[in-house]
Amino acid sequence: MTESTSTDLPQEVEEPMATVAASASSVGGGPAMTPAASSDPASIGAEVVFDVRDLDVYYGAFRAVRDVNLQIHKKEITAFIGPSGCGKSTVLRCFDRMNDLIEGARVEGKVLYHGVDLYDDRVDPVEVRKRIGMVFQKPNPFPKSIYDNIAFGPRLAGNKENLDDLVERALRQAALWDEVKDRLKKSAMGLSGGQQQRLCIARAIAVEPEVILMDEPCSALDPIATARIEDLMQELKAEFTILIVTHNMQQAARVSDRTAFFTTEINSHSDTRTGCLVEYAPTNKIFSAPEDERTENYVTGRFG
Amino acid sequence: MPEQRVNFHQDLDEIRNEIVQLGALVREFIPRGTDVLLAGDLGGALALIEADDEIDALTLRIEEQCYNVLARQQPMASDLRSIVTAVWLTGELERSGDLMVNVAKAARRIYGAHLDPRLRGLIERMSEEASRLISLSLDAYVERDASLGAALADIDDTLDAIHGDYIEAIFDAHSTHDLGLQPAVQLALVGRYYERIGDHAVNIGQRVQYMVTGWLPEQTGAARLRAREATLVDLESTEDPRPGDQ
Repeated sequence: MTESTSTDLPQEVEEPMATVAASASSVGGGPAMTPAASSDPASIGAEVVFDVRDLDVYYGAFRAVRDVNLQIHKKEITAFIGPSGCGKSTVLRCFDRMNDLIEGARVEGKVLYHGVDLYDDRVDPVEVRKRIGMVFQKPNPFPKSIYDNIAFGPRLAGNKENLDDLVERALRQAALWDEVKDRLKKSAMGLSGGQQQRLCIARAIAVEPEVILMDEPCSALDPIATARIEDLMQELKAEFTILIVTHNMQQAARVSDRTAFFTTEINSHSDTRTGCLVEYAPTNKIFSAPEDERTENYVTGRFG
Repeated sequence: MPEQRVNFHQDLDEIRNEIVQLGALVREFIPRGTDVLLAGDLGGALALIEADDEIDALTLRIEEQCYNVLARQQPMASDLRSIVTAVWLTGELERSGDLMVNVAKAARRIYGAHLDPRLRGLIERMSEEASRLISLSLDAYVERDASLGAALADIDDTLDAIHGDYIEAIFDAHSTHDLGLQPAVQLALVGRYYERIGDHAVNIGQRVQYMVTGWLPEQTGAARLRAREATLVDLESTEDPRPGDQ
């Protein structure tokens, strides 16, 4: 761009481009690309964080998920719902390349993160997981103190200064500080299940990711602990982009802005099941007037 | 695949059947109230006013069932729309019943007044139209017929036209001194009651459209408002050109 004499406007236009370019070049020194152009009218006005194009996931020769196309929007909560085996967790694990850890897993198609393909050879999966945190179904704190659980990631990243402040901030953001501030040096294993899960969320956000992936984060928790996590998600949304896989449809309805419904298709010739995305829309629409009959049948609980 | 949540669907069917039953009670009220009015039947008026308690009791029962299903089953998608529609319909139908109670009360107030054949004929025609509209709205509900639901607004034009003629007939009867001012005002209100029943039927038709398609009746008005607001924003932004634009 040539230098402009006008004041505010061109800068405002320039800045997001610069940010995208910066993030593109810093993801493991990957290729600098132009930001993904969005053709989805529903996405107008919301920045796209992930743009998934024609995604297929294979475990060996078996195609577990086929033809997923969707966009994840910044600072929104996106829920993935669907019956067991529909591929929702498999798709979620593509967003931080956790499938790399599964023997024989292979991904086709593109998962663009701010325009950069996460599966490009030059992208370092460790770098990806710094920007995209994950919270699992079963709370899995390290058998260390509460403090060390939170400080673990930042220390690994070489951050040795102001760890106390960082730990406090992460615990406050995860709405856990008041409950644990007097026992930071005690083992995290002594916390309740709900507290452990909030600790895992605090641990995930301590490395300041942009995105948090949650794989059934409440299925091991009682309703009160679940409600606390759901409230927390609403607070975290101000800063983070959240993707959640849940078996609990009411939870998806309560917390998310958009919902993707996946289902399984039976392959007649091989008697295997492949997951596919059926409908992706604002959550209000999915639960009040879905377009697809399969979504309707699932959310009304009419057929298994 | 076998059907799931069988009890829940039985609850939904039961609510639906009771709505139809409520509709039948209300529909039956319309000719009955009209007969009371035209015959000056004071006993019949009292009986109709008392019978309204049945409508109220059934309305209450349906509403409570709807709340129970909402609280216990968390219905989604078309099930959610059915329940929300049922709650709306109880309101529309219950109010239509009340309007016929008003007709019965008016019969007591104008007792002894002379109604000329033209007025009587127009009252009968309004009554028939109102009852036809309620019947059609219930048909739309039972058959889940969104297009019939949408057509009710146009079908209601007939009732509106008869209502217009009726008001004129009241003026004529009053100006020729056949009809006193007090009964004239009461009769004008009676016309309004029938006309309102037609409006409730139109509302039911719109709610049926929502139940079937998810389309909310106020969307047209809301879209107009948004368009007006957008035009205003455009005007404001053109009045205040951005720096560097020229």
